[in-house]
Amino acid sequence: MSAPAPRDLTPAAARPRPAEAPAPARPPVATPPAAVPTPSEPGPGRLGLSRPALGLVLLALCVAPFALVLAVSLGVPEDGAAWDWGLSLQNYRRVFVGLDWPETTSRLYLARLGWSLAYAALASVVAVAFAFPLAWAIARRSRRTQTIWLVFLLASLSLSEVFVVMGWDILMSNRSGLPMLFRESGLTDALKATPIFDWLREQGLASPRDVRFKTSVPLTVLVMAYLVFPYAVILLYPALSRIDPAMMEAARTMGARPGTVMRTVVIPQVRLPLLGAVLLLFVFLLGAYVVVTQFADPARHTLTVSIYESVRGATLNAPFGAAQAVVLLVAAATALLAASGLARLAERAR
Amino acid sequence: MRLVQPLYMAWCVLFVAAPILVVCAAALNGGRSMLFPPEDPTLARFTEFFVTEEVWTRALGNSILIATASAALATLLAWPVAYGLWRTGSPLARALAGAGALPFILPPIVFGVGLGFQWSFTGLLGSLPAGILSHAALHLALPLTTLSVGLAAIDRSHLDAAATTGATEGTTFRTVILPQTIPYTLSGFFFALVLSFNEFIVMFFVSASAYATVTLQIFNSLRNGFTPTMAVGAIVFILASVLAFSLVARFGDLPRLMGADESRR
Repeated sequence: MSAPAPRDLTPAAARPRPAEAPAPARPPVATPPAAVPTPSEPGPGRLGLSRPALGLVLLALCVAPFALVLAVSLGVPEDGAAWDWGLSLQNYRRVFVGLDWPETTSRLYLARLGWSLAYAALASVVAVAFAFPLAWAIARRSRRTQTIWLVFLLASLSLSEVFVVMGWDILMSNRSGLPMLFRESGLTDALKATPIFDWLREQGLASPRDVRFKTSVPLTVLVMAYLVFPYAVILLYPALSRIDPAMMEAARTMGARPGTVMRTVVIPQVRLPLLGAVLLLFVFLLGAYVVVTQFADPARHTLTVSIYESVRGATLNAPFGAAQAVVLLVAAATALLAASGLARLAERAR
Repeated sequence: MRLVQPLYMAWCVLFVAAPILVVCAAALNGGRSMLFPPEDPTLARFTEFFVTEEVWTRALGNSILIATASAALATLLAWPVAYGLWRTGSPLARALAGAGALPFILPPIVFGVGLGFQWSFTGLLGSLPAGILSHAALHLALPLTTLSVGLAAIDRSHLDAAATTGATEGTTFRTVILPQTIPYTLSGFFFALVLSFNEFIVMFFVSASAYATVTLQIFNSLRNGFTPTMAVGAIVFILASVLAFSLVARFGDLPRLMGADESRR
């Protein structure tokens, strides 16, 4: 769920450097006694030998499931829940234009893909917009304060989608949440006297008597943004902590106001990481499931919900579910490639 | 102007903590509904969750078993991959690391669907070992990343010293590399542990309703709405996460793991 961007996995220092001659002035104080070579040592020698086995394990556990989804997506559904292997594109046709195309066109699943993309895009932009000032503030604090913040953010980041939805469900419930707060404070009555209440009702955000946020697009986007907010802070934090304070001080001493410093010194340096963060959060949110089932209107459900319905739920059509999963996968992979391209650009610009 | 930053930080704490605090408070409800503030406060829900209600005790047991075993397995698998990458940096080593990171960076629902097919073809669908293997694969990227950071942080002069004094690769590994990377190994283990604990969607496809973890059990009971007993589960999980990450912060360098600049303190 959390942090690492793919590029983090090959840190520059991991690549072998030409061995430097040890400086004689620096005695190997901290080196433990290592003088007696013992050839029968277990350890990395063996690790080297076992590489084919390791490759097979990783292939079976990490790569094969994706290959299977692709293979099943080309299969042919039969009566009931049965299906057979095949090389048919009919499942993809059903995702994009419907089963009876070209006689009739159904945009049902295309619309679901649209909602997947829309929720994820909106929520990731909202999350980054709110995370930026916080990441900025944290990066200026002492190492100790930073660590406390990181523990707090990581703990809330790793919190299961199930619990997050539970919390927001209470916060938005009619009896003890925000609608209650609106009612008790008299805000609901005040709103009813204005045209705003009618507008809210048209938007589906109010019942005749109360404001109502479940189920709605804004709540879905808000909770999704909440899900990735800590992730956004953690993604922006390295880029912001690397900004040289001397540059800002120089700008300040030359008379630039804080707003100008932000615009001319900080933002140009972090534009690419900002965009990259949005893309990574977007990929993460493409997989959101519980939020959508609880807080989105059934007519505005996402592809993840219909993938579940096809593979496990009511409709039971494994090849069709697999085809939808592949479509989601392609969307995610595209965003990831764009993100890694941006990361490379940022690396070159530094 | 001075006040804006602290105020914004306080607002963020409130925003992040509000749903969590509300869930924690709801666990105290005496009745069956999730009210806030809690009505008729009692600790009876805690007894239900930990002792009397078998659905929850069994789910908690499964969660703990799967999280611990899968995190250990992920760390064990990540070691040779990260070591190979650091040692050789060869295209093969990079390909292995890339393969290991794949499940984590792509949408988990796709991985879950694929694993569902894979385990049903091999007849393991709905078995605990399949669940453990699935989570190990899903979270392999975490120890892989912390170990890569840790290996890159090893002082080069120690390695040179070991080499000039004639240490074999094995001895160097045991006396220099392993001790210096223990904090990063543990960090990776705890990251994988916490995320496995909280993971939902992959387990949803892999368990095939044969068994439930706590998050799964909560989702399965959602048809009847949230209940205060579930909220106890949430409290347990939050405390476990805070504890695990505090351990990581205590014994490892959290800002460094998160990619902060090392030159400034």
